[in-house]
Amino acid sequence: MEKSFVFKFLGLSFDLTGIIGSTLMALVVLFVCIWLSRKVEMKPNKRQNVIEYLLDFTDGIVKDNVSDEDAQKHLSLYAFVLFLFIWFMNMLGLFMEVKVGDWTVVKSPTADPVTTMSFAMMTLLLSFTFGMQKFGVGGYWRNYASPVGFLFPINIIEEITNFLTLSLRLYGNIYAGEVLLTLIGNRLAVSFGLPTMILAAPLAMIWQAFSVFIGSIQAYVFVTLSMVYIGRKVTKE
Amino acid sequence: MTFQTLFAASYHIYLGNAIWYLIVFALLLLLVKHYAWGPVSKMMEKRRQKVIGDLDSAASNRKKAETLANEREAALKNSRQEATKIISDAKANVQKTSSKIVADANENATSIHKKAEVEAKQAKTDAINDARGQVADISVAIAEKVISKNLSAKDQKDLVDQFIKGLDD
Repeated sequence: MEKSFVFKFLGLSFDLTGIIGSTLMALVVLFVCIWLSRKVEMKPNKRQNVIEYLLDFTDGIVKDNVSDEDAQKHLSLYAFVLFLFIWFMNMLGLFMEVKVGDWTVVKSPTADPVTTMSFAMMTLLLSFTFGMQKFGVGGYWRNYASPVGFLFPINIIEEITNFLTLSLRLYGNIYAGEVLLTLIGNRLAVSFGLPTMILAAPLAMIWQAFSVFIGSIQAYVFVTLSMVYIGRKVTKE
Repeated sequence: MTFQTLFAASYHIYLGNAIWYLIVFALLLLLVKHYAWGPVSKMMEKRRQKVIGDLDSAASNRKKAETLANEREAALKNSRQEATKIISDAKANVQKTSSKIVADANENATSIHKKAEVEAKQAKTDAINDARGQVADISVAIAEKVISKNLSAKDQKDLVDQFIKGLDD
């Protein structure tokens, strides 16, 4: 198992791997976005087309799952940034795993349950906020007991399971991808010298391609489910 | 599934990381909104409005063109009708005039004919009257001649016959 560099600050423990990975990817997302939208014109150029396609894509996710038009406007930005950020974090571990000595310095931050839980918690809190804004605090709590009163505890439990499935699905997929990639690269490739190295190269390539696919799907699923959860809070059942 | 296996990849729960992610994400949200999402979605909305406006104006233009074409067609139909009317009017006019001319000519001809007849009659009566006068004179002359020449009765009859024959000729 990899070890990561942990330090304590203000009584909270920080894992440097996740911080480096997420910060790096946040910067990448920011620069990609700025680069793509450097010259915004009425007649779109190629780069603008790309970012508009992405925006249309995430807007499509939002519009498919949130029927409330006011919420749609607010969620457009959230879905756009969340999708790009998670996608880039998923991709990070595929082509880069930097180790210094025993410490893993760079890997996919999303291969860590803390990361995915942070984002799932963000979605959960957002859904609370949207629900309370729409129906008021009392109306929001009454929605838990609708249509029948005894569903209240079940609905409360559903919040927790939503949170867990949302976060652990992403984490599990990316973590498994990384584990297999590490196994191919670190164990299989070096087990019998040159022959296994040659064998491992195409295997790693295939698995990387598959992981790109999985990473994209998971980013899409994460954003979609986030929107589903939020959308459910702003519509009366 | 114990708590430890769930966090197998983490060893510890880094609450600090969660806060860090939230801060990074919030910053990213703000920066992307300011630099990319804002301008791009604004432009997309602008373009959407422009497309809507263009479509509307295209529809109204098409309507305008349609009404114009209809008007033109109606005008064309009108002018065609007018042309037919003018032609038929002209034809009727021509007929009228020509028949009038023919009638006039006929009338003229009959009047000329009548006049000629009258004149001819007049001439005839004049001639007969003349001839009568002359016959009287000639008779007188013949009588003078007869008296002077002493003609026989037969000769005289012949003479008169001859004379009358001559008159008839």
